[in-house]
Amino acid sequence: MSVELQHPMKAEATPEEVARGRFVSAMRSLILNDLAGDMRAAYDRRAAPAFRKEHGRDPATSREAHQALRGDPAFNIYSAMRVQAQKMVWASVAESVEREADRLSAEAAKVADQDGSLTLDPGLDVPKNVHAIDVHLMPGSYTRGADSLEAGAVYDRGLAVFSMGLMGANLDDIGLSMSQYVKQRFPDFAPRRILDTGCMIGHNTLPWKQAYPEADVVAIDAAPGPLTYGSARAKMQGQAVEFRQMCADDLAFEDASFDIVWSSMFLHELSKKQRAKCFEEAYRVLKPGGLVIHMELPPNAQMGAFDGFYLDWDSYYNNEPYYKGYRDEVPRDLCARAGFAEDDFFEFVVPSIGIYGEQAVADAASGDRAEGVGQETTGRLAEGVMWYGFGAWKR
Amino acid sequence: MSDPLRPEDAPPNLYDDQGNPRFFADPGMDRFVAVVMNLAQEVWVQEERLLALEEAKSGTSIDKDARAKEFIDRVFAPIREA
Repeated sequence: MSVELQHPMKAEATPEEVARGRFVSAMRSLILNDLAGDMRAAYDRRAAPAFRKEHGRDPATSREAHQALRGDPAFNIYSAMRVQAQKMVWASVAESVEREADRLSAEAAKVADQDGSLTLDPGLDVPKNVHAIDVHLMPGSYTRGADSLEAGAVYDRGLAVFSMGLMGANLDDIGLSMSQYVKQRFPDFAPRRILDTGCMIGHNTLPWKQAYPEADVVAIDAAPGPLTYGSARAKMQGQAVEFRQMCADDLAFEDASFDIVWSSMFLHELSKKQRAKCFEEAYRVLKPGGLVIHMELPPNAQMGAFDGFYLDWDSYYNNEPYYKGYRDEVPRDLCARAGFAEDDFFEFVVPSIGIYGEQAVADAASGDRAEGVGQETTGRLAEGVMWYGFGAWKR
Repeated sequence: MSDPLRPEDAPPNLYDDQGNPRFFADPGMDRFVAVVMNLAQEVWVQEERLLALEEAKSGTSIDKDARAKEFIDRVFAPIREA
């Protein structure tokens, strides 16, 4: 199912557009649940045995699972259909965004005076990986429509179709699940200033403001349009957030000025060099006693060859060039290299609050932290999804 | 032209000469799959319009998400592994 956005910039879609969105969402559900299951069965039945025959052992890595699967009929059909469904996601919302450009601007103008702010930096050198490829096959990528509402509207409406309801009614399940987890696991922690890096439209920023209403929340991204949209969206939902155009690997903030530095589904969009710099910057701007915390895809080292490749698929076929390189890195090392003590690192799996409920998140936070990263549902957008996260405290 | 931003270990034969991913031995099949999906979407759009008329006529509401799932399961049954 496709979700209906929870603010006035939601589409006034024609019946035909509604039908198209519903179809794509249902199609993705078939691909990501049923065809993914078929591919796993084919891997066990055909691909892995064939690999074993040739190499005398099972595929040991994501790369070898990929090698084993290439050419298998179940892999071919899953992949070809997933690529096309991804294109159909963005196509299903493009017309309504174009048609409604003026109305969206008018809606945004209505809330311009609400609390919260937007600061763009026209002089910022937007990194190549943000504009030079169509990231996850989204035409025009994050810089589509420059600093207009267009890129944000395409992303918001697209995500509503893409997520099949698994990211919550307000597309904020990741932020809600993670912020509630932190709040309940560390009840004495009272952050006063929170930074979201690579925030896009701020869909997973707002839950932090809800979890810690007294805190000042700042959200940055390199692309201007999604920030323009995100700022209006936050105001429409009554959340005062400071949106600023900035790169996470070059923060214009003072040392020791934040209690939390957060990101969701962001680190995999950076090159290895940018990512390392990002962690250094997070360490720099955190106050002593502050927390860096990221929601991301689980690392390859903690998954079997097939499940690892299942996630790495996007790197090769969904225009996510850094996805696999990120998943090959070890989160503990990323933190340690930036200055965080090894003992202050932790990683965890949070059940989706929308699917499993508040109690499940509370249970996970209260000590039952045995959820295995390696299980199929972790980090995979399919029925029963759980989110992987890691963090480190600055001493 | 292949896209310069690819994972470092991506073999070039994963893509066609325009940088699109290819999966089937016959590249026509990759396009054919996309056509079948587009066509199924067009049929569903018509189906949903008919359902709307039925709803208006009968005054009852139809669970279109459930209908869409049934429709897709039916159309794409032949590609499922046994």
